[in-house]
Amino acid sequence: MTFLRKRQFWIYLALIVGSLLVVYPFVFMILNSFKVGTEILNYPTRLPQHWSLDGYHKVFEQLDLGNMFKNTIIIAVSVTALNVVLSSMVAYALSKLKFPGKGLLFQVIIGSMMIPTVLLMIPAYSMYYEWGWINTYTVMIVPAAVSAYNIFLIRQFMIAIPNDFLEASRLDGCTEIQTYRKIVLPMSLPVLSTVAILTFMNSWNDLAGPLLYLQDRSMYTLQLGLYTIKSEIPGQNLEQLWAALTVTTLPIVFVFFFLQRYFVNAFTGVGLK
Amino acid sequence: MTPQKRREAVTGYLFSLPWVVFFLVFLTYPLLLAFKMSFQRISVTQPSKAEFVGIGNWVAVVQDPLFWKSVFNVVYNQAIFISVVFVVSLGLALLLKEITKGGALLRTMYFLPVITSVAVSIIVFNMLSGPSGPIQQILMSIGVLDKGVDWAFSKWWAMPILALFNSWKWFAIQMIIFLGGLLSINPELYEAAEVDGASWWKRFTNITLPMLKPQIVFVTTMNIINGMQMFSEVFMMFNLEGGPYHSGLTPVLYLYKKGFNEMNMGYASTVGIFLMLIIVVMTTVQWKLFNRGETN
Repeated sequence: MTFLRKRQFWIYLALIVGSLLVVYPFVFMILNSFKVGTEILNYPTRLPQHWSLDGYHKVFEQLDLGNMFKNTIIIAVSVTALNVVLSSMVAYALSKLKFPGKGLLFQVIIGSMMIPTVLLMIPAYSMYYEWGWINTYTVMIVPAAVSAYNIFLIRQFMIAIPNDFLEASRLDGCTEIQTYRKIVLPMSLPVLSTVAILTFMNSWNDLAGPLLYLQDRSMYTLQLGLYTIKSEIPGQNLEQLWAALTVTTLPIVFVFFFLQRYFVNAFTGVGLK
Repeated sequence: MTPQKRREAVTGYLFSLPWVVFFLVFLTYPLLLAFKMSFQRISVTQPSKAEFVGIGNWVAVVQDPLFWKSVFNVVYNQAIFISVVFVVSLGLALLLKEITKGGALLRTMYFLPVITSVAVSIIVFNMLSGPSGPIQQILMSIGVLDKGVDWAFSKWWAMPILALFNSWKWFAIQMIIFLGGLLSINPELYEAAEVDGASWWKRFTNITLPMLKPQIVFVTTMNIINGMQMFSEVFMMFNLEGGPYHSGLTPVLYLYKKGFNEMNMGYASTVGIFLMLIIVVMTTVQWKLFNRGETN
């Protein structure tokens, strides 16, 4: 008994030390955001000597962070909404409907996950350039509206929904679209929230996309704004940078804490044979 | 076909349409365009003035030492990253499996780096690991380091340090995948082994590792595909040359520099195609290796 207790003690100790190592950088970030520039540079690890909100004031005044928030939210929310609708439609077809060519379609979708999309950025750029999509929300939203990974996740979940529910709905005279909307979608809520969180997070945190396609300052997203603060004024106005880091991170942490149960579950039960 | 079956098939096609359109317009078409551009001299701003140059770009990329340096860098990085993150995430998963209380809270905390953007976390990490940050301060106070090291400007340290950064950032996803795998292993296997007097290490190598194979194959594949495309980290940390010794240069950073800084999209497309071929070869070899392990 004491042996077991002792063992549990060491296991908990290791896990807690690990979690402190993971959380420390966030504490470090938040503490530094309340310091002035010279103090960040010279004493990064100390508690703030004078708690200051200078960084927060300046970053909102000088860098139009408000507008960046607006752009980021418009893009992330649209991409998330479209993915929930479009990816779940495809997943429904793949899991619950019979039609010739379904097997092939599924294989192509899985195969396409292996295409490294970032390699397509050169031809995609010239394509969007020709279409006049550069510096628009469209370029960030439309190409990201559906994803093979999301389709796969939702399909795996929908397969487990018993067909009896669908048969009953069809016997009641519901069309396929009504069955999808009134029966299958509500039952898929857990996986749909997972997909929503993952998509929202990826869109919010994306740097390469905005970097290529959004060059007009009024279109900048938060990540692009961070990059600009870091590269345009190196070594100076450090308090703005650390305030900006904190401000851009907190919303996503907030969303995560609300929905973390789904998020963590999204990654269980994945494997390749 | 009965009317009901025909109706179902029509709905099936209609519902699949979003992905088919996406696949044709945003994957297949750019991929074909990339192949076409790899045979051209073509600029970002004047795509109409494209000029056919045959296999010129292909030959040039093969002979380009900077391209191969960038490939070496990501392979160097991945070798360290994949080993470190494997040990950390499997270790924590094994520990998490043993506890009954508080697991949910710990998992939530471990996920904080995953949800933070690369741009934010690399800036914070750079400060933490820089000469005035706590890590080097501790190392100096216990005498491991004589003076501060600016790793981004060093010849060999950039990639190992970035591998540690990425291990911190991404271990939680692998940990959860491994934990899911561990929990699905039949406990009777362990009980039988214990009756036979097998040591902890024997049980680990003969039961745990083989049973986790699907998860290990999955995370390794994803690591290779994502790691070979490393971009945001090095873009935030280095100039487009990847630092004074090109120690932070990755293929995608190089592609970005060629395409959008030097406006040479033909060359950049060729770099992209070569990188894609390298990724395909690496994942295939990795699958072959794992499957050979199975037949033995």
